[in-house]
Amino acid sequence: MPRIVIDGLEIEVPQETKVIDAAERLGIMIPRFCYLKSLGAVGACRVCAVKFLQGPFKGVQMSCMVDVQDGMVVSTTDDEAVAFRRQVIEWLMLNHPHDCPVCDEGGQCLLQDETVSGGHGIRRYKGSKRTYRNQYLGEFIAHEMNRCIHCYRCSRFYQEYCGYRDLGVMQIADRVYFGRFQNGQLESPFSGNLVDLCPTGVYTDIPARYKVRSWDLDRSPSVCIHCSLGCNTVANARYRTVWRVEGRYNEALGSEFICDRGRFGFGYTNQPSRPRQARVDSRSVALSDALKSAAEKLSRIHAASGPRAIACVGSARNSLETQTMLKSLCDGLGLPAPCFFVNSQTEKAVKRAVASLDERVAVSLNGVAHGDFIVAVGVDPLNEAPMLALAMRQAHRRGALLVILDPRPSFLPAPHVHLGFAPGELNGVLGSLVGKALETGDEGKLPPLHEDFLKSLPLESLFKAPVNHGEELDVVLSALQKSRRPVLVCGSEIVRENTPSLCADLALLMRSAKGQCGLFYVLPGANAFGGALLSGSEESSFMEVVESMEQGCTKALVLVESDPFLQFPHKDRLKRAMEKLELLIVLDHLPSLSAEMSHVFLPTSTLFEVDSTFINQEGRVQWSRAVHEGGIPMEQWTEGNHPPRAHGAIIPGQDFKAAGKVLEEIARNMGASGEVSLSDPRFRPGKGASPLEGAPGDRPGDGMRLIPRESSREPFSAREEYFTFGEDAGDSLELLLVEALFGTEELSAHSPALEKVEPKPHMWMHEQDASMLGFSQDDVIAMDLEGGVVEVRLKVSPSMARGVLVLPRHHRLQWQKFRDISVRVPHDRMRKS
Amino acid sequence: MAYADLLPEEMRKQLIQRIAEGETAREQAIDVMTALQNHFGHMSDQAMLVASELLAMTPLELEELATFYNFIYRQPVGKYVIHVCDSAVCWMHGHESLMDHLLSRLKIRLGETTEDGLFTVLPVCCLGYCDHAPAMLVNRHIHGELTREKIDRILTRLAEEPHLPTGMK
Amino acid sequence: MYPQVLFANRKASRIATMEEYCRSGGYEALSLVVGKWTGKDVCAEVQRANLRGRGGAGFPAAIKWLGVPEEADYPRYVVANCDEMEPGTFKDRVLVHADPHMILEGMALTGYATGAEKGFIFVRPSYESSARILEREIQKARDAGYLGKNILGTDFSFEIVVHRSGGRYICGEATALLNALQGKRPNPVKPPPYPTVKGLWGRPTVVNNIETMANVPHILRNGAEWYQGLSRSSTSPGTKLFCVSGRVNGPGCFELPMGITLREIIEEHAGGLQPGCHYKACLPGGASTRYLTSEHLDVPMDFESVAAIGHRMGTAAIIVFDQNTCLVGATLNLTQFFARESCGWCTPCREGLPYLRDLLWRIEKGEGEEEFIPMMRAMCDQLWNAYCALAPGAASPVESLLTYFEDEVREHIRQKRCPFKT
Ligand SMILES: Cc1cc2nc3c(=O)[nH]c(=O)nc-3n(C[C@H](O)[C@H](O)[C@H](O)COP(=O)(O)O)c2cc1C
Ligand code: SF4
Ligand code: SF4
Ligand code: SF4
Ligand code: FES
Repeated sequence: MPRIVIDGLEIEVPQETKVIDAAERLGIMIPRFCYLKSLGAVGACRVCAVKFLQGPFKGVQMSCMVDVQDGMVVSTTDDEAVAFRRQVIEWLMLNHPHDCPVCDEGGQCLLQDETVSGGHGIRRYKGSKRTYRNQYLGEFIAHEMNRCIHCYRCSRFYQEYCGYRDLGVMQIADRVYFGRFQNGQLESPFSGNLVDLCPTGVYTDIPARYKVRSWDLDRSPSVCIHCSLGCNTVANARYRTVWRVEGRYNEALGSEFICDRGRFGFGYTNQPSRPRQARVDSRSVALSDALKSAAEKLSRIHAASGPRAIACVGSARNSLETQTMLKSLCDGLGLPAPCFFVNSQTEKAVKRAVASLDERVAVSLNGVAHGDFIVAVGVDPLNEAPMLALAMRQAHRRGALLVILDPRPSFLPAPHVHLGFAPGELNGVLGSLVGKALETGDEGKLPPLHEDFLKSLPLESLFKAPVNHGEELDVVLSALQKSRRPVLVCGSEIVRENTPSLCADLALLMRSAKGQCGLFYVLPGANAFGGALLSGSEESSFMEVVESMEQGCTKALVLVESDPFLQFPHKDRLKRAMEKLELLIVLDHLPSLSAEMSHVFLPTSTLFEVDSTFINQEGRVQWSRAVHEGGIPMEQWTEGNHPPRAHGAIIPGQDFKAAGKVLEEIARNMGASGEVSLSDPRFRPGKGASPLEGAPGDRPGDGMRLIPRESSREPFSAREEYFTFGEDAGDSLELLLVEALFGTEELSAHSPALEKVEPKPHMWMHEQDASMLGFSQDDVIAMDLEGGVVEVRLKVSPSMARGVLVLPRHHRLQWQKFRDISVRVPHDRMRKS
Repeated sequence: MAYADLLPEEMRKQLIQRIAEGETAREQAIDVMTALQNHFGHMSDQAMLVASELLAMTPLELEELATFYNFIYRQPVGKYVIHVCDSAVCWMHGHESLMDHLLSRLKIRLGETTEDGLFTVLPVCCLGYCDHAPAMLVNRHIHGELTREKIDRILTRLAEEPHLPTGMK
Repeated sequence: MYPQVLFANRKASRIATMEEYCRSGGYEALSLVVGKWTGKDVCAEVQRANLRGRGGAGFPAAIKWLGVPEEADYPRYVVANCDEMEPGTFKDRVLVHADPHMILEGMALTGYATGAEKGFIFVRPSYESSARILEREIQKARDAGYLGKNILGTDFSFEIVVHRSGGRYICGEATALLNALQGKRPNPVKPPPYPTVKGLWGRPTVVNNIETMANVPHILRNGAEWYQGLSRSSTSPGTKLFCVSGRVNGPGCFELPMGITLREIIEEHAGGLQPGCHYKACLPGGASTRYLTSEHLDVPMDFESVAAIGHRMGTAAIIVFDQNTCLVGATLNLTQFFARESCGWCTPCREGLPYLRDLLWRIEKGEGEEEFIPMMRAMCDQLWNAYCALAPGAASPVESLLTYFEDEVREHIRQKRCPFKT
């Protein structure tokens, strides 16, 4: 590791560290505009100049362009370097508007900071300023090109990093222009990052624009809970409104970028329709009264019908604190274990995934970005976990081959091989792919168990596959054979329940053949991992809860930030079952049918209002801090008046608690036995403290991974069951209810910003299936099912699997007429309407 | 190909073949745009969409190139595009007064097109004909040792012979 | 008259035919070398001859070629730079119109030396006639078996494609050129990796000026010693195509020995200054070099000698200014050129050049201030920290104006007008 001296301080850094980063490690922040670690160095702005005094380089050089080498002595304060940097600032300011007070970026502007700190205050240039015309870039981002300092961050991010092709650099010399060919919504679902990475105010966030000044905002480190990746964010709030969410760098996740769902999905916390009032039997009451009433009613049923008459349902959007408390409440009162998943097939897949993940194979998002062969099985990265798509793109940029083995049409913003197979075929294809690749056996001797497993893989099934992928398969096979750092990405929503274990077994097999293999699961929800961990092996399927309600055995239901109507396929049935309940208690911050039906409603805080913990899909514990204390947003309370005309002693709308706290009080009021404990042994796979312990403001567990060194699951045990397939498509299509980028995820479906861009409800069919049925693109198709008719617009794709019907669970679509999740739609029940 | 169908069959085929001959489609972007602007008169938005289809590049990606170069015209130009060299040697040889003469004869300002749609005058940097300074280029055809009289003669000839092939813009 | 090598077949009225080229020894080097020498042998001979790049920097050609890693992947490429947008420079145009096959043979040999089988000639739009000539002659050479598959019956194949530029000065810079050729925005790319390692489509690519390549057949045919003997300089061998323009009687392009004095070029070969004109200054190698004053007239024109007096020979395109030409005006014109042609990638060039132009414009217009002079000096220094060599080149005339003609600048400021304008 090379050593360098910067401003008299010595530091040793890893190979290929840039001087600018070495300085940062020493606490010396060299100015920069074009350089961004995640984007790499291009040396365009020239403001990071320092003087090299000794070593292989001499004189003024750009610190972002030079890798640290032994013997370098660098000064950042040398007169020549300072004079040059000052000159660069003057140049950049020649054409920059001098109107920071009316610029939305003011106060959080890198150019402003560097200009002021560099001491440039007097204008010498007598010429006039260049001006540009702005463009309409859509609903998320405003464009003010006059503020541009031509650092090229935006175009590099947009095109090179993300792979989208509708924003870039035009013109030449001092007229260079960043924008689109014509006005229009930016196509990239990562476009919001332009706001963060532009060092000036060219791109600003429309929902927050001209609403707040940065210095007035409360900011806190937060975590995105709009999918299972848990990208790190900064939440910004003022006057009880969350205004803006920004990305935050995280080493394991590999970047500071987030997707637009994560950035603009926070509207649920501010929405006027958010239920903030506790209710008992439709009467508004104080939270404390509602709590008491809930405890009383529960106790009554507990006493009269026994603990088994009470069912508790949490969700994958619960914080770990909430889930833990729910679990403790159930344990303490002897209730059945809580259920965290409405869809039991998904639940099983998730549990298998969580049970399989261990230190030998688990990789983080950054690990995916560094793989040299990525195969994603039963997962649709862009729609289910958007930043995964970007990580895969980075792997591609480093030379990896990307393979998507999934029935859906594939929208990955990177060149890839898409093997469109139906869910029932995924295991077979994957198994034979790996089997074929390792068959040649020049990888060295495998342990006997692994050897056996390898031999059991179905080498032929891949090639008998109905879809013609001949040439592509050769490419894939040879890349997998050559690969040294393969990564298996595995979904959990549409796969068979044993696919996650198969992936884990294959990962272990490839690891022993190649020395290394990554495994990366995508789970349904920000804290699906926590839910699976806490429900453990106990079977507590939601279907059983429904049946038990129907039979009258379950008399009370507690829904904790969960609305089963969104997931359960048969709405009428669920509604009837719930209507039979003696007691329905709902804790939530989202409006929902369940909340409307509840006998006791208890409002809860959102992510932004209470410190909370989430475990992402790789088992990483991430702590999010509250950014404000909640209450009705000032804007709504004062009906637009500012400052407010009426003042009171209490904050309106603040009569709520974190769901976990609510549960804790209910438990206490009911006299639950057993300590409610946050130091559950499940949270300590290795040594160390529970992630939930620690003084307020200090969570030692933040960032740790809750996975064992070696999973206790018995590997390779399920061989036989993996490769049973051959369900014949017959004259029906397999219905796949899936996630979409915008419009399906529960929380962000409440975001006014996203609503403007979400596509209309639609479904996908293979073009041959469609033409066989006499349908074409954009036809509205009516599916006449037992529960009623679902009408939806058709899109066709040539590359998706045949025999499936892909239907995003759009929040505007009443798809819950299907009666069952794993349903086949007969051809003759579909017609053009 | 919704937009490429605007081209004559022959031309479209030629372009498609030329694109296929390159190592990548992108490599041919300038050639294709040049051909299209000869055909359409300039690189109109519509021409950009045609190019975008033929080259499988987005309009933005083409715009990134089109707006960089001197010889791709994104705005309407006359039948003859006159690029007058304004670099050092021509400057020394009185390019300014020749430019004035040219513009006043055509009754336009620099960058404009004559009302009859025949001529557009644009400045250009050194054309590489310094040994024949002052020089100008008319549709990629060079004219050197310019004098007022010579300019008059050239303009007259071009204006009087409307059927003269315009060559490459 | 000095020995004419590149211009041996040059005619006043027409282009030399392939037959004429062959009669003068053309394509002999190709048959001598191909299939008989190794690529390394070719590099070695060119290295012995110390052929130096004619595109402006004088970098030894063979050393560049040897930068292609032996084990590098195929395909590899050769690019002949015929962009020639440096103001004052027109030698490449003259060379194409004199003897195009010399360039083609040189390219094929460069390809042979570096293991490339495809070459591109990158031509600027105002040289459309050159592009057409080259295309026509490539076809003839192909028909004659000098290009194409299995050249002269060996297993060496070499294709040449003419690539037309959209027209911008920066496209002549080697790395920007490669971007342009690939249909990307022509911003330069700072090495490493060098184009010889990762060039076109990530493959090893050698970029040379066409004049550089035109020397190669002669070196291989006649040997390094012969080549060295053509020059008057011990460090820059061979002949050089000098372009002379400006206030001279006989502007044009002349093939003369390296190391010949500036005085001889101007006074004898370019016919001296026009009647009534006296020599005031010249730019010796295009717009991006420093002014040479009358004190410098006896400098030998070769890379080292010009460098020794703190100047650059550049493309050896000599623009001659007389006593009646305002050098502030001339420098303003040059700065305007560079500001307009900046690719817009880096701050010093994109913003700094318009700034300099503004200051010069004010001085020329009579609005100059004394403090502009130190500002301009400082800024010229700062331009050296730009991303590519365009900006330092742009600084050269301004900086040398302030060095040699500060009085003239001050006179503008003092009189609040251009003293040359009546
Ligand atoms: C701004 C700029 C413009 C250039 N233009 C040309 C040019 O038009 N023709 C050329 O041969 N070299 C040009 N060069 C030099 C090339 O970068 C490159 O060095 C040269 O083509 C290599 O050929 P050589 O080694 O044979 O000289 C330019 C360099 C710069 C910095
Ligand atoms: S718009 Fe912003 S990010 Fe893009 S180049 Fe300009 S200053 Fe940089
Ligand atoms: S990828 Fe997932 S976690 Fe990351 S920002 Fe998007 S929705 Fe949030
Ligand atoms: S100095 Fe900078 S802006 Fe100028 S041409 Fe080079 S890279 Fe482009
Ligand atoms: S940060 Fe180094 S040049 Fe911009």
